Amino acid sequence: MSASSVSRAAMSNVLRPYLAAVRSTLTAALTLENFASQVVERHNKPEVEVQTSLEVLLNPLTISRNENERVFIEPSVNSVRVSIKIKQADEIERILAHKFTRFMTQRAESFIVLRRKPVPGYDISFLITNTHAETMLKHKIVDFIIQFMEEVDKEISEMKLSLNARARIVAESYLTAFNA
Amino acid sequence: MAPQVFQLAQTPVTSHAFSADRNQVCVSFNNNEAQILARRGNEWAVTDTLTEHDKIITSIDWAPNSNRIVTASQDRNAYVWEQKPDPETGALAWKPTLVLLRINRAATHVRWSPKEDKFAVASGARAIAICSFDEENNWWVAKQLKKPIRSTVLSVDWHPNNVLLAAGSADLKARVFSAYIKEVDEKPAPTVWGSKLPFNTICGEYSSPSGGWVHTVGFSPSGDILAFAGHDSTINVVYPSGPAVYSVRIPSLPLVSLTWTSENSIVAAGHDCRPLVFSGSEQGWQESGTLDDAKSSSSSGSGFGGAGTPGNADVRGQSGSGSTSSDTKLTTLHQNTITEVRPYEIVGGEVAKVSTSGVDGMLVIWDANEISALTSKLGGARLG
Amino acid sequence: MDAFRKIDIDQYDEDRLDASELYEADPRDPAAVLDEAKQRQAAVRSTLARSDIPGALAIVLENAPYGPNVDDAKDVTLQTLLSILNSTKSTEITPAIKALTPDAQDTLMKYLYKGMALPGWGDISGSVLLGWHEKLTEVAGVGCIVRTMTDRRIV
Repeated sequence: MSASSVSRAAMSNVLRPYLAAVRSTLTAALTLENFASQVVERHNKPEVEVQTSLEVLLNPLTISRNENERVFIEPSVNSVRVSIKIKQADEIERILAHKFTRFMTQRAESFIVLRRKPVPGYDISFLITNTHAETMLKHKIVDFIIQFMEEVDKEISEMKLSLNARARIVAESYLTAFNA
Repeated sequence: MAPQVFQLAQTPVTSHAFSADRNQVCVSFNNNEAQILARRGNEWAVTDTLTEHDKIITSIDWAPNSNRIVTASQDRNAYVWEQKPDPETGALAWKPTLVLLRINRAATHVRWSPKEDKFAVASGARAIAICSFDEENNWWVAKQLKKPIRSTVLSVDWHPNNVLLAAGSADLKARVFSAYIKEVDEKPAPTVWGSKLPFNTICGEYSSPSGGWVHTVGFSPSGDILAFAGHDSTINVVYPSGPAVYSVRIPSLPLVSLTWTSENSIVAAGHDCRPLVFSGSEQGWQESGTLDDAKSSSSSGSGFGGAGTPGNADVRGQSGSGSTSSDTKLTTLHQNTITEVRPYEIVGGEVAKVSTSGVDGMLVIWDANEISALTSKLGGARLG
Repeated sequence: MDAFRKIDIDQYDEDRLDASELYEADPRDPAAVLDEAKQRQAAVRSTLARSDIPGALAIVLENAPYGPNVDDAKDVTLQTLLSILNSTKSTEITPAIKALTPDAQDTLMKYLYKGMALPGWGDISGSVLLGWHEKLTEVAGVGCIVRTMTDRRIV
């Protein structure tokens, strides 16, 4: 086993209960049905977005490891909004996370369940409606969100590493000019 | 006998209703049309398409004796369909009759009364329309049950006496109403639910214990017991003369449809993707097993069990590749939410077989007496 | 745009349900609830001293304060509960959960989510709560999480 995979396994063990909690909460929230609006005639809207009928909204739940890593799940009768706060330890990670989520939200239509705008306080939000749960397998939607959470942390730390490596190379080749 | 499985489509089956002889079934594939399928051996072939609605059909019911179909839709309408000979060719065709529902929101659920002279339409207009036939004008007219409903009505079920109606709604309540129509009904005999029953009498009102929308309601075969299941993952059994309400908290996802199979057993299903069996009596109720023995699928991905075993969880936690194609399939027969459970075959006064339709496009006929123990807490969900 | 054009007319619909109509209000007086919460805190302390985790959990989870106007009592109860959660060895968690009534399990789940929604409050530790959450879900199933979502008696 290489050094990097050992450290990754160690990281995952810390991450595991967090992802397990997100998975079970999402599974509980993805119990959607087709529900026509009782406010607007002949309309069918995601109730979690319109917030017009209190009784069809459920209690929103937060799953958190700490202040910087949390998931906010807002369930309703026909839609669930899932918002993720991505871990950002320093300025570089903040910039990378911002660039990364911006890249995705600009291409939201290809991700189907991605929301164009995150809920305030979070970096990225997903909106899953009953139509999604009908055209895709429920448990695969959960898998997708979990996989996204795993990948995004990995992606950002890898980008940070390669950014640092590049900075080092640039610095080295710049400084060699003075070495001669 | 193993369950009979029919993959009708790749789209959800929103609702299903069999004809009296069980050789035909009326289904809606999550759109504005209802299809009549006829059984040819192990296949179902489309014979007719009922097109009149312009929004998704939410519920279908097929009256066994009068052979009439009623459909309800989110377009705020309901139609009664009857097979009539075409004036020119003489061939039988399904013809719609208009129903004056007078509701301004979606119709969500529809059921014929036992005598088939009335039907009830639940709606998002916080009302239930009780419809009866008006000979003079050749249409169905509705009388509305309104008070004290505060939100969308999600389901209705008739009492065997043709007068009482149970309704479950999103205002977290299950209620029993009188749907007595002077022009249609004879004066009903007193029941455990009451003796004087003018229209819109409230004979009972029950809250779901942990605040869930009441998805489904059902009277027992005698009509003396009421069961309802809600989004709080509970199923509740009401003995009105008790007055006792037994609540069974289930560890899995909420149930959305139920049917009594005898005076002391219920089959219910929903988001957990497998039919659960509950049994009990006046002394108490409990979950007694499932009809889905999980043999139908491969042994891989043992569902909920994975969460408890650290070995498994490590693999899962290590990378996204933990969920590869090998565990795409759930261990349950249905691969997505079950939309409706209905009695299929009745032997000696008890329901011997039930049918279920699902979001996965399947129609399954189960033997109601082949109950296997619950081995995992969750059928249709995988944790870990 | 004139102010009247921004009025949400749907709020005047008399059939509309308010938040307060979605659960039965606690008939007790807020002061009495707070007193009770404090008494329980003391009772939990002495039970914990005997290292009786299931007993302590049962005390704090019974009749937990819910609804508006009892924020102080809720805080005291959360604090008391955290003192139990943080001092339980991981091997003792599952037996302690199994000893609880289904009602208490549902209430415990509510508190775990409440705690996770307040990272950094008091001595909340994300990993402790997540550990309990995982074991509680194993015992009580996702149905327990569903009930935390549906039950408007928020702790």
